[in-house]
Amino acid sequence: MTNRENLLSLLRRQGYEHVPVEFVLCPHLQELCKEKLGAEDYEEYFGFPWRRVDDLKLADQDVEKFRKFYERPLAEGADIDLWGVGHEKSPNSMHMTYMRHPMEDMETLEEVMEYPFPDFAHADGSHQPEQVKKIKEQDLVALGDMQMTIWECAWYMRSMEELFCDMGDENEIAEFLFDKVTELSLIRAKAYANAGVDVLFLGDDIGMQHTIMMSEELYCRWIKPRLKKIIDEVKRINPEIIIFYHSCGFIEPMIPHLIEAGVDVLNPIQSECMDFGEIYQKYGDKISFHGTIGTQTVMPKGTPEEVKEAVWKNLDIAGEKGGLFVAPTHMLEPEVPLENILAYVEACRTYRRS
Amino acid sequence: MSILEEISEFLQKGKRKNVKALIEQALEEGIDPKMILKEGLMSGMSIIGGKFKREEVFVPDVMMAARAMNVGLSILEPKLVEAGNEPIGRVVIGTVQGDLHDIGKNLTAMLLKGAGFEIYDMGVDVSAEAFLEKAEEVNADIIGLSALLSTTMLQMKEVIDLLKEKNLRDKYIVMIGGAPITNEFAEEIGADYYTPDAASAAEAAKKAVESK
Ligand code: B12
Repeated sequence: MTNRENLLSLLRRQGYEHVPVEFVLCPHLQELCKEKLGAEDYEEYFGFPWRRVDDLKLADQDVEKFRKFYERPLAEGADIDLWGVGHEKSPNSMHMTYMRHPMEDMETLEEVMEYPFPDFAHADGSHQPEQVKKIKEQDLVALGDMQMTIWECAWYMRSMEELFCDMGDENEIAEFLFDKVTELSLIRAKAYANAGVDVLFLGDDIGMQHTIMMSEELYCRWIKPRLKKIIDEVKRINPEIIIFYHSCGFIEPMIPHLIEAGVDVLNPIQSECMDFGEIYQKYGDKISFHGTIGTQTVMPKGTPEEVKEAVWKNLDIAGEKGGLFVAPTHMLEPEVPLENILAYVEACRTYRRS
Repeated sequence: MSILEEISEFLQKGKRKNVKALIEQALEEGIDPKMILKEGLMSGMSIIGGKFKREEVFVPDVMMAARAMNVGLSILEPKLVEAGNEPIGRVVIGTVQGDLHDIGKNLTAMLLKGAGFEIYDMGVDVSAEAFLEKAEEVNADIIGLSALLSTTMLQMKEVIDLLKEKNLRDKYIVMIGGAPITNEFAEEIGADYYTPDAASAAEAAKKAVESK
């Protein structure tokens, strides 16, 4: 099998020849890998099987226009993203930022409707087919990364508390905002699909450590139909496309809904929140998995041996058909020892089915 | 159903307008504001907290109930001050230094408020010194620390160590919580209470100040 065939076949549960590796490093660990391993580009150094294709490029890149929406001004040096969401830096929290919500104080539907949402309908996607072609020529899988697809996108603009209250009140703001973000996400998703990506990575956090973030009822009322709409349209363009979906935390009750919406691969199955063996047994014939190696526990705190054992144990559970793209469950933070990252990679490379 | 039970019911459903109207009506009827607070708002928050703990309701329900509580409190507070109502305790709460997660911390603060505590919310990314300074300033009973990252949970120990260093450890009840926290960790760093959810936090806090 080629590298591409290997990953795609593994994700489709049709067998695989070697175990691919993949993870995300925080800036600190990226530096460390450069220094200690000479890994200028860690994705290339470790031979990740996929590469990201850039999103649509907006004609209007000006984010200053959002500043007026912050009644309490943003802290100095804060970044504003293309949705107008503010990210305030803190000297104590490294690469992490505190989020501010431009729509938090809005009270009427009119205010929300007048908000300058990013204009993806007139954005430029001419680079996408070119990038996809290049990636495939290198025997790699082309990935469109569109996490924070509906719920998180709306939450980040409106604030979780306001949005939950809008939803609970069944008000027009919630209806409009969810429709708007779905419309914009759909434009981006279709552009990726038309450009020929193999994998589209969607996601919205709907889990907490031990419970779901909202009731199934609320999820099905507001979010599931919109997610399904996006996936349906994308699969109409390319029935072969593989849909990844990310949600942190415990989401077991949501898994049947995600399967119904058309998700093919679920990320990250946080090992601290759900038992992979159990989840695999229940749903492993309908959906594949990406992740399962805990970033709250074994990656930062385990020994290299324990990391390897976790990787092998989960690969054994998935068996020879595949269905598990084994990887750390989240970005690796500064406290993860380099030895554990190398142990994960080695475990993948040396895996022999027991 | 009595009007106070009705207030509690509407609060649990997060119906702010009904809560507001009924409180105004109750005040007109001459019902003691302390009674409205206890049997209406606090009882409603305690019921919704219990349901949250048993996973019958979720984060949005608690947030909406807390909103309704706040609307109610804004009408009641001036009357309560007149009546000389004292909170059952004072809590300084915040997310520890380096950590910017605040949803769980906010929820905990809401349920503590619903249980009758006065809350001093320090926000996120709060240093050990700032916690201590505020606690001293407001004469707090409890210091509540939240951390969601395996990196930042170690900051909780810094706060406790600082208290020890200043010989103030026994003066405050230290409660900790957040996704990665466990009982073992709480014992290891010498915190007084860990609870896995916000409703249990409010119950534990009540017991703690009673037995202080
Ligand atoms: C929402 C979320 C975010 C939001 C936060 C928004 C906000 N304003 O808070 C955003 C997207 C901004 C975010 C950012 C990040 N996050 Co985050 N996030 C989450 C998520 C999905 C849910 C957390 C949450 O809000 N839960 C809902 C509340 C209600 O639950 P809770 O916080 O646990 O609180 C309850 C109890 O713990 C308790 N409690 C809470 N505080 C207190 C305090 C006291 C005193 C008591 C008694 C009780 C108590 O009561 C609450 C109610 O019952 C978790 C997943 C998870 N497994 O928890 C990841 C998670 C915590 N995040 C994680 C990470 C890595 C990050 C980032 C570093 C990502 C990045 N690389 O940028 C940044 C860090 C930013 C920073 N410096 O803090 C990891 C942490 C892993 C680790 N190593 O520990 C998690 C576990 C996800 C994962 N897959 O691994 N995140």
